[in-house]
Amino acid sequence: MLTEVKNQIIVTAQSIKFALQREMLNKVTFLTNIIFMILNNACFIVQWIILYSLKDNVGGYSFKQVLLLWGMAAMTYGISRFFFKDSFELSEIINSGQLDNYLVQPKNVLISCITSSVEVSAIGDMIYGLIMLFLFGLKPHTILLFLFCGLCGALVIVSIAIIFSSLSFWFGKTEMLANTVNSLMTNFATYPEGIFKGLVKILFYTILPLGITTYVPVQLISHLEWKWIIFIILGTIFFIFLAFFIFYKGLKRYSSTNLMNARI
Amino acid sequence: MAVITVEKLSKSFKVKIKEKGLKGSIKSFIKPKYNIIKAVKNISFSVEKGEMIAFIGPNGAGKSTSIKMMTGILFPDGGKIDVLGLDPTKDRKKLAYEIGCVFGQKEQLWTHLTPYDNFKFFGAIYDIPESVVEQKIDEMRELFELDEFINTPVRNLSLGQRIRCEIVASLIHEPKILFLDEPTIGLDPVVKEKIRTLIKRMNKEFKTTIVLTSHDVSDIEKLCKRVIIVNKGQIVLDDTMENLKYHYLNKKIIDVKMKEKVNLEEVDGITILKDKDYNLKLEVDLKKKTIADAIKLLNTDNMIDINISNVPLEDIISEIYKDGEKE
Repeated sequence: MLTEVKNQIIVTAQSIKFALQREMLNKVTFLTNIIFMILNNACFIVQWIILYSLKDNVGGYSFKQVLLLWGMAAMTYGISRFFFKDSFELSEIINSGQLDNYLVQPKNVLISCITSSVEVSAIGDMIYGLIMLFLFGLKPHTILLFLFCGLCGALVIVSIAIIFSSLSFWFGKTEMLANTVNSLMTNFATYPEGIFKGLVKILFYTILPLGITTYVPVQLISHLEWKWIIFIILGTIFFIFLAFFIFYKGLKRYSSTNLMNARI
Repeated sequence: MAVITVEKLSKSFKVKIKEKGLKGSIKSFIKPKYNIIKAVKNISFSVEKGEMIAFIGPNGAGKSTSIKMMTGILFPDGGKIDVLGLDPTKDRKKLAYEIGCVFGQKEQLWTHLTPYDNFKFFGAIYDIPESVVEQKIDEMRELFELDEFINTPVRNLSLGQRIRCEIVASLIHEPKILFLDEPTIGLDPVVKEKIRTLIKRMNKEFKTTIVLTSHDVSDIEKLCKRVIIVNKGQIVLDDTMENLKYHYLNKKIIDVKMKEKVNLEEVDGITILKDKDYNLKLEVDLKKKTIADAIKLLNTDNMIDINISNVPLEDIISEIYKDGEKE
C-alpha cells in the first residue's frame, strides 16, 4: 500500500514536471502569462483601497483581512489550476473518451488524469497570494497556516470540479454546469463573508464550500483556533472522498469514444 | 493454456434519437427518445498463450468495444471476462501491469518529449527501476531501429516513427498480452510492412500474445494464424486463417485476353464477372466446375494472355460480413 502511494506520487510528480516542461517551450509566453496574472489580480485590489478609504469595515473584515482573503483566494485558485488543471477539463475528457489512456495504466485513473497538464498563469496566482500574505503580516505560523489552508482549499476546489464534471458520466455534456460552479467558487471567494446572509451562506458551507476554502482560513490565520484546523481537515477529507466516490461510481458508465486524439 | 477467456459478453449503449431539423431538436429536447444499441451480444471465445489473433469486423461491429472491455476500459453489461486469471472490472490496475495497448487512433506519448523521455516516463508508470528501463530501452532501440530519432521530440516524428514508439512504450513493462487496435492506420505500405515485421518478431522473441484489430486485410493475412470476425456485435466466424482460406477459397478468378471477341454463355459454376472488348473475367466455382472446364469454353488458339488467381481475402471477408448481416 505504502509503495503504491509512493509510486503514484513519483509518477504524478513526473507528470507535472513534464507538463511544466511543455509550457516552458515558449519562454516569452511562459513569463508574460505569470506576470500578467499578477497584474490582473493587483488591479482588483484598487477598488478595495477606494472602498476602505471611505469605510473601516466591510462585512466584518478589516482592509488587511481583505488582502488576506484575496491572497487565500489566489493561492487556492493557483494551486488547484497549476497542479490539477485537468480537473477543470474533466467533463470534456470524459465525453471525448480521453480516459482510455489512463485506464490502461496501472495507476489511479483520476489522479493521473487531473495532473497531466498545468496552467502556467496559476504560478502568477500563487506568487500573488504570497505577496498578499506578506502585506497582511508575515509570521512563521501565518506562512505555515497559509500554505496549509491553501493546499486544503485547492483540494476542495478540485473536488468540487470533479464532482460536477463527473455528472458527464450520467448526463453527457455538463461542462457548462461544472464551469459555472467553478466560476462561482472563484468569484465569491473575494468578498468578505459578512456581506452574505441566509441561504447564500448555507450554500457556502455545502455545495459551494467557500467556508472551507477561504472564509474559515482567513479567520484561522487572523486568530489561531484549533477547532478551525480540524474543521478544514475534516471538510477537505469529506469533499475528496465524495469526489472519488462519484467519479468511480460514474466510471462504470464510461462509454469511451473512437474519436482521434493526441496528448499535446 | 488460455490467457483470455470471454463468456457471453455483452454491452449496450444508450443513444439519443433525434428527428431531422429544428422541429426534431425541439421534440427531442421536450421528450427525448433513446435507442438501446447492443454493441456486443453474448460473445464467447478464448485465446491461447502466444497466439496472434485477428479480431476484425466492419465499422461499428463491436470489436473495439470488446477490446475495451478486455482491457478494463469499459464495464460489460453481462458475461464474464478472464484475462490472465484477472477480472478487468475488478483488477484493472493489476491487469494493466500484464497487458499493453496500442490504439492507432489515440496517442499515449507526450508529443513535446523525446521517445527516450517518454519511455522513461512509462517505466515510472509501471514501477520499473531506472536501470532496468535503460536496459529495456537499449534492447528496443535495436529491435525497433529507433537510433535515428530516439532523441527527437515526438511531435517532429513521422506517423510511422510515432507508431513504432507507441508500440515500444506499450512493451516497456514486458506485457504478456498486447492489444493492437488498428496499429497501421494511416501508414504507407513500406512502413506498414516494417510494423508487421516488428510485431512478428516481438511475438517470436517475447512470446507475447497479440490481439489485433485492423481493416487492412494484409495485416491479418501476414500476421495472424487465427481470425475472429465480428459483425453486429456477434461472432460470425472464429477459425484458423488456413481453414478460412481452404473453405472460402474454393473459387478462382480467370482473367483472359483474347484476339477476338468471344460470346460466352454463363453455365452453372462459371460466372462472367467482366466481358469488355477482348477481355474476360470469369469466376469458377471449383465445387461445380474445374479450371479445365472453363478453359474449354474459350478458344485457346485465340488466347493472348491468361491469369488464374484466388479470390482476394478482402472479398472473402466482405462476403462473410454480408452473410452476417443477412442473418
